[in-house]
Amino acid sequence: MPVFKTPFNGYSVKFSPFYENQLAVATAQNFGILGNGRVHILQLTPNGPISELAAFDTADGVYDVCWSEAHDSLVIAASGDGSVKLYDLSLPPTNNPIRSFKEHTREVHSVDYNTVRKDSFLSASWDDTVKLWTVDRNASVRTFKEHAYCVYSAAWNPRHADIFASASGDCTTRIWDVREPGSTMILPAHDFEILACDWNKYDDCIIATASVDKSIKVWDVRNYRVPIAVLNGHGYAVRKVRFSPHRASAMVSCSYDMTVCMWDYMVEDALIGRYDHHTEFAVGVDMSVLVEGLLASTGWDELVYVWQHGMDPRAP
Amino acid sequence: MENGPPQPSGNSPPPKPWERAGSSSGPAPFKPPSAGSTSDVVEASGTARPGEIVSTANRNTAVNNSTLARPVPTRPWEQQQTYGSSYGGYNTGMNYNSGYGVGTYGGGYGSTYGSGLYGNSMYRGGYGGLAGGGMYGGGMYNSGLGGSMGGYGMGGMGGMGGMGGMGMGPFGDQDPNNPYGAPSSPPSFWVSFMHVMQGVVTFFGRVAMLIDQNTQAFHMFMSALLQLFDRSGLLYGELARFVLRLLGVKTKPKIHPLGPNAHPGPNALPGPNQPHGNQHFIEGPKAAPGAAWNDVWGDNAQ
Repeated sequence: MPVFKTPFNGYSVKFSPFYENQLAVATAQNFGILGNGRVHILQLTPNGPISELAAFDTADGVYDVCWSEAHDSLVIAASGDGSVKLYDLSLPPTNNPIRSFKEHTREVHSVDYNTVRKDSFLSASWDDTVKLWTVDRNASVRTFKEHAYCVYSAAWNPRHADIFASASGDCTTRIWDVREPGSTMILPAHDFEILACDWNKYDDCIIATASVDKSIKVWDVRNYRVPIAVLNGHGYAVRKVRFSPHRASAMVSCSYDMTVCMWDYMVEDALIGRYDHHTEFAVGVDMSVLVEGLLASTGWDELVYVWQHGMDPRAP
Repeated sequence: MENGPPQPSGNSPPPKPWERAGSSSGPAPFKPPSAGSTSDVVEASGTARPGEIVSTANRNTAVNNSTLARPVPTRPWEQQQTYGSSYGGYNTGMNYNSGYGVGTYGGGYGSTYGSGLYGNSMYRGGYGGLAGGGMYGGGMYNSGLGGSMGGYGMGGMGGMGGMGGMGMGPFGDQDPNNPYGAPSSPPSFWVSFMHVMQGVVTFFGRVAMLIDQNTQAFHMFMSALLQLFDRSGLLYGELARFVLRLLGVKTKPKIHPLGPNAHPGPNALPGPNQPHGNQHFIEGPKAAPGAAWNDVWGDNAQ
């Protein structure tokens, strides 16, 4: 299975929704503490190594990337200096970034593109706000400020164009409707900071939250008093969680215990796979939308792994 | 953005797997989606506020309409600022501060650390409390000046606390940090003289104690060292003997194998007449040739 070595510490990896062999990686120097960042666009070659299509340097660490759903060459990067940058792969690096939205006053930790309406994206920042942007405007459309602590992640509902969820360090996950002035639902999901959330792709009422308390909880927003499932198995804080685009109950998570885990929250023994190929914190993971079972992960060991579920990521 | 890529330049990606699948498990508690672009929808709802910048100042006041009264951890960069501002020159790089706190340790892994251990109780409270309130500000400095003896008693700082107290003693009341109200009248000559004398006596007392303790420590150190040498010599001897025996080296025998007692010759006189008996250590080797000589002579004689 192919491996790509990035010069900086990996922070996030995302598969392209257009091409099954492209993926974007966000990296930051010195573990994101201090220094530059770089966005890599990687290309998988069949039975070969991963090649780099393009790389964009930034003045500050890049903590997250997402692909535009409306144009196959657009990539959005969340930067440590509070800016959200747009890159166009079809243009040379000297012309990039084509946009840089600077409104957040703190690091932007997550970006997510709307997959339903395909014209807007969210950025979640440590200044406690989530901002809604459209590609054609220079300023954010609106700002969601209710969280009392850093917002670590924001995720669009995959079936509803106006609904999204945000995960914050104030131990709540909030569900928002972009047409409402405030959040429509507050989910006190964990007793510790929540680092990530994601929606079930096949059931638009199911949401998963990953927290510092080492657990992943699955919630039904119609009955949010008790979680549907509590998935224990990580040894440290869970950094990211993603639902599978192909199977309703499968999801993947990565954690500071350096492992990537596959889960099926419907079955009794929820942990269905564990990969310990990273030698440092695993902080980025994604599942391909176009190829079933294709996984990618990155971590602070500066390696990007792409492998098929069930295989050994380190196998040559 | 116009110049498309070489391959299927799509303005929309392939349909998602879940879009091909059926709908969800039941009625969702969400309002039905509106038609139109996102910016139009938001503007139609009247919630659009383009380009709003939430500054740090109004964030804390405006945001706390949360229904949850949960304690929120202090932000790492704010901790850094309290630290940096009092010490100066340390928090010039904004990246350093902010990045350090949450990016690596605060964000995920360390949020346990960040919020629980280091963040609130240990690091911030501990550090601030120690530097600001406990040691320097309240305990040591002020009370040390307020009552002249109190300073020495509380001094956790060791011998030099006495020095500080001595120097400050006569002028203690004029200290700006003195929390005990208006300055009283200056002390008389004898009072200040006694203060000085007290300081001198305390100083020499402390010096004497230091010397005494150092002497004791030196003594103990030397005696322990000598004992160590003594023991190690014994140990070396035992070990060497054991190793040599393991190697099969013939060492100097403790008991002469053919002592005079064992000898059948005429000179073999057992009993108390023999001055060394069985324990020939030094004379043993000498005795052997002696016996041999006697043998020779004895054989020849017979």
